[in-house]
Amino acid sequence: MIDKLCDQAREEDLAVAWLYCDYKAQQEQTLINLIGAILKRLVGSEIPEGIRKAFKEGRRPLLADLMRMLRIAIASLPPVFICIDALDECLPKDLPQLLESLRDIVRESPGTRVFLTGRPHVGEAIQKYFAKAVAIPISPSEDDMRNYVEMRLDRDEAPEAMDNGLRAEIVRIILDKMSNMCVGLSTLFTVYTY
Amino acid sequence: MAQTTHTKPITFGNNNVNCNNTTGSYNTTVYNSDMDARIMGWLSPLEPDNRHHGVRTGRFEGVGDWLLETREFREWRGGEGGADKAVLFCSGDPGVGKTHLR
Repeated sequence: MIDKLCDQAREEDLAVAWLYCDYKAQQEQTLINLIGAILKRLVGSEIPEGIRKAFKEGRRPLLADLMRMLRIAIASLPPVFICIDALDECLPKDLPQLLESLRDIVRESPGTRVFLTGRPHVGEAIQKYFAKAVAIPISPSEDDMRNYVEMRLDRDEAPEAMDNGLRAEIVRIILDKMSNMCVGLSTLFTVYTY
Repeated sequence: MAQTTHTKPITFGNNNVNCNNTTGSYNTTVYNSDMDARIMGWLSPLEPDNRHHGVRTGRFEGVGDWLLETREFREWRGGEGGADKAVLFCSGDPGVGKTHLR
């Protein structure tokens, strides 16, 4: 998804920033660090003078400082896409303010696009701040699963131990189990979503 | 993938002073990049680029292509609806592959 936007960014003049929330990293993924990371990404290698000045003042940036810098950055950029993955894994106490910050950004720069992923329950929180947010439920298609299993089999370290018949049998059985057992999806996909 | 996803430099306030960048000497350059690294660390200690690289290497082509074809995605991507329709939320339980949508 991010790659897709980045590919388009190269062709069409877009700016893309992304974050991955992870409950294992909640301690450092504070609201202020998340907003700072978006800013950092958008600024890229050209650090604006305003940020240099603020840095030289020598104090830790407050959320208000980062938001001000972020608004200025976004206003001077082509359309900005902000992608946040696993929103439900951000600190629960920070989630409302993160969404509020995103709403403020979007209100000021309506061309900004926000792409969020998360467990279904986080949709309620999103809706409080973005009443017209569009939700798309994600579940892997059989093709996606088949491709994934094939890819893993291609990576087998001892391919000579598996002939085409066995290979087809493995694919068939896994897909069969999957279709009967939705909960099993997480087993299959955890392998690469870690 | 490009490390810089936008091309226009950003200008904040008074941009007349382009600090420490006028001599072009080796030492200045080193100082600048060290300074830049410190400023970046000051903005946030998080490094989402590192995680993104990890996700990229564990993914395979084509997952979630269907999403890009949906009307919802295309409208969102095209900026239709302005601030009201700024958010696209892909929901799913853990492990369905949201992170790896492409």
